[in-house]
Amino acid sequence: MRFHCIHKVLLCSITLGISLLSLPPLSFSDDTLVVYSGRAERLIKPVLDAFQAESGITIQMLTADTTALVNRLGMEGERSPADVFISNDAGTLERARELHLLQAVDIPGIEGAIPQPFRAPDNSWIGLSGRIWVVVYNTTLVKPTEITSILELGQPKWKGKVAIPSASSVYLQTGVSVIREIQGDTVTKKFLQGLKDNAGTSVYGKNRQIVAAVARGEVAVGLVNHYYINRHLDEHADAPVAQLLPDQGENGMGIVLNAAGIGITAHATHLAQAKALVQFLISTKGQQMFASGNKEYPLNASVDAAPELVPLKSFQVANVPLARLAELRDPTMTVIEHVGLR
Amino acid sequence: MASANPSLTLTRLRIHAPSPLIIVAFILTGLITLPLLYVIFSALTADGAVWQRLWSTRIPELLFNTFSLAVSVAVIDLILGVSMAWIITRYRVVSSTLWDWLIILPLAIPSYVLAYTYTYLLQRNGPLEQAWQIVAGSDAQIFSPFSFAGATLVMSLNTFPFVYLLARSAFKNFNISFEEAARATGASRLSTFFRVSLPMIRPSLIAGLFLAILYVASDFGAVSMLRFQTFTYAIYQQMTGRFDNTAAACLSMVLVFFAFVFLLGERWFRQRSRFYQTTGRYRKPIPQACSPIQNLCFTGYLGMVIVAAFGLPVYLLIQWTLDALAAGDLSPGLIGYVGNSLFLAGITATLAIVIGIPLAYLACRKHTWGSLLCIQGAYAGYVLPGPVAALAVLVLITQLAPALYGTVIVLLIAYLVHFLPVALQGMESTLQQLSPNLEEAAKSLGARAFQTFSQVTLPLVRGGFMSAWILVFIQCLKELPATLLLRPVGFDTLAIRIWLEASEELYQLAAPPALLIVAMTTPVVLLLMKKGSQPVSRNG
Repeated sequence: MRFHCIHKVLLCSITLGISLLSLPPLSFSDDTLVVYSGRAERLIKPVLDAFQAESGITIQMLTADTTALVNRLGMEGERSPADVFISNDAGTLERARELHLLQAVDIPGIEGAIPQPFRAPDNSWIGLSGRIWVVVYNTTLVKPTEITSILELGQPKWKGKVAIPSASSVYLQTGVSVIREIQGDTVTKKFLQGLKDNAGTSVYGKNRQIVAAVARGEVAVGLVNHYYINRHLDEHADAPVAQLLPDQGENGMGIVLNAAGIGITAHATHLAQAKALVQFLISTKGQQMFASGNKEYPLNASVDAAPELVPLKSFQVANVPLARLAELRDPTMTVIEHVGLR
Repeated sequence: MASANPSLTLTRLRIHAPSPLIIVAFILTGLITLPLLYVIFSALTADGAVWQRLWSTRIPELLFNTFSLAVSVAVIDLILGVSMAWIITRYRVVSSTLWDWLIILPLAIPSYVLAYTYTYLLQRNGPLEQAWQIVAGSDAQIFSPFSFAGATLVMSLNTFPFVYLLARSAFKNFNISFEEAARATGASRLSTFFRVSLPMIRPSLIAGLFLAILYVASDFGAVSMLRFQTFTYAIYQQMTGRFDNTAAACLSMVLVFFAFVFLLGERWFRQRSRFYQTTGRYRKPIPQACSPIQNLCFTGYLGMVIVAAFGLPVYLLIQWTLDALAAGDLSPGLIGYVGNSLFLAGITATLAIVIGIPLAYLACRKHTWGSLLCIQGAYAGYVLPGPVAALAVLVLITQLAPALYGTVIVLLIAYLVHFLPVALQGMESTLQQLSPNLEEAAKSLGARAFQTFSQVTLPLVRGGFMSAWILVFIQCLKELPATLLLRPVGFDTLAIRIWLEASEELYQLAAPPALLIVAMTTPVVLLLMKKGSQPVSRNG
């Protein structure tokens, strides 16, 4: 017998000891705010840490895919431990509102801070930072005049030269929703088919990877949220990447603009703390972190975007209200799957 | 074997009045199979439009991808496993005992860790491409890790030891007289190998291949890291990209159906292909001495494979961990993640053994229709890959006991459904080796059933049960998909941290938890191999 009794007892007690030590709390203390976050931890954690330091409120965060978190909130119902839900997509927030997973709240000063299109009428979700879906291009391989519209990336001339997000990326889904709404299904399918052929295996799970691939010259262009380009340039100042704003001009459909935001859950138990977090995030201080740290567009009009960004007012934005994105999502997914994007 | 089964012969089946043991076993089996049945139920009652959408957009592609990956991995595993087993058993290579240990090591690396090191190695202008450009000119390109070739490479490097282990023991127990007879009648070395040796060890090879294929079909970690569309990855994508789980349930049912057919096929094949020594003497093969050149070639070959499957990935993990340490990037929560991982793995392994005891006992000692049903039901977890087990438990819990959702208990149930077969397999084979005579002797001396079990049976099977415990423990340590979908707030495990960091290509941040898992798994893999037990058979 290899395992003698004494060893077994020892092993069992060690296991038991470790188990007891690491037993998760069944309920969180009164001061702990539980945050479900669908954003990349790197982008949201510094802001939450700043809030924690300022308010003394401890935050427990669960990071997962933003859609999976909505499903989870729905299944947990009134037992959900979550107090707030942070998402990288306004459509998902609106969907959560329609499913009665968020609650209407009254935040003092919100009217002055965040303009109307960037929050739900009853404030059940509030946009915090704006992002635009742009073309990233390699400056040594492409001239910016070569592209005027996102739809051109589906043309054969870009075969093997485009990097795109994977089908489960909420950014791609939002972009396709907007294109469908403006151009219709036939044009969208043709565009996606071309995009799929052109991208080949250059399909990435994360925007970060797309910018890196363009910078390395593996592909000439890619589709990303704008701030990933700025963040890449912060780390590698001489990287040959730049941003191109497509679909401008008189007949252009405009740029896809989306907002990341926050909502207080319908069954939040720490309402006061949750409100304090929202207030911090819409305040000048919180908004400045989104602006300077993340290079997103602060939605509080009194806070300026990072100087290297094109001003939000200076370009044409696609005319699809953020709230529409919620209902567009499911048919968009079917179109994406039908074309067979990865 | 993928799933050891009591050697039941139908003639021995008898109808019994239900004993308490049977009742307990029935209840346990019911609980274990309920999730699977529920997934099938929700798939069958799904809207026809969902099925139609899946048939026209996903299922054909997923079937093709999953099958072709499984087949290509099986072929490469066969080549690697058999050749290495042949070298180790038939030649006296320098330090062959050491090689024998080293070849097993790749089993200690979780598939998603291997995959993420290879996304670095194989990236455009990455280390491997630059090395290749020195050989093939500066314009040469290497295949992308995010491709069929990439997925095949990673999965093969992760699974070839299964085939190696089985081929090795088959070659070791081979009766050399057959080969000698072939040689004596004028067959060349090569044709003897292909026409005598290989066919003779066919049952072992098939078993190893089945194991590898099952592993490929149920793997989630590597294919999702490499974004190669197989069933498990697509199920996860449906669960995280859509606002309802119906499509995920439908895809799960298709996968479960094929896995089930596959398992039946394996059993059928195993029963058909047995070879027996009929006449003549048995002689063990004696390893030949090899020339310096042979030695060099063999050592080079073995070394190359092990460096690719273990050495290089581990070197990278150490390098990145050191980088993270130097940059002060080491996550402060690391100890907590270790604690969570150990907690989950420890509790699950213990529960699996406790639940497994009545089932395994029943399977070995009571050959009735009821026990057959129970044991087959309990093995259902085998056909449930991680995301599917998670989905099954999820839908069931939200229907039956919604209060449990979001607690550790849900995660533990998913682990149990998923890993009970691993425990059962080990426990069953241990109990089978124990003659019932001992228990009958105790009973005839007046001991009661429980007393017999605790004083006679248990002390004798302790070692085997311990192996089963360890096996479940390391499987849980590596588990990814169910943990991703079901973990409670503030309950990240090592595997989760690796996943979150590696999917952003933050190599340095993902390395410390990955290195910890490899460090914890390696001694266990070696220990199990030394005990001659079955190696790790599944992965996250």
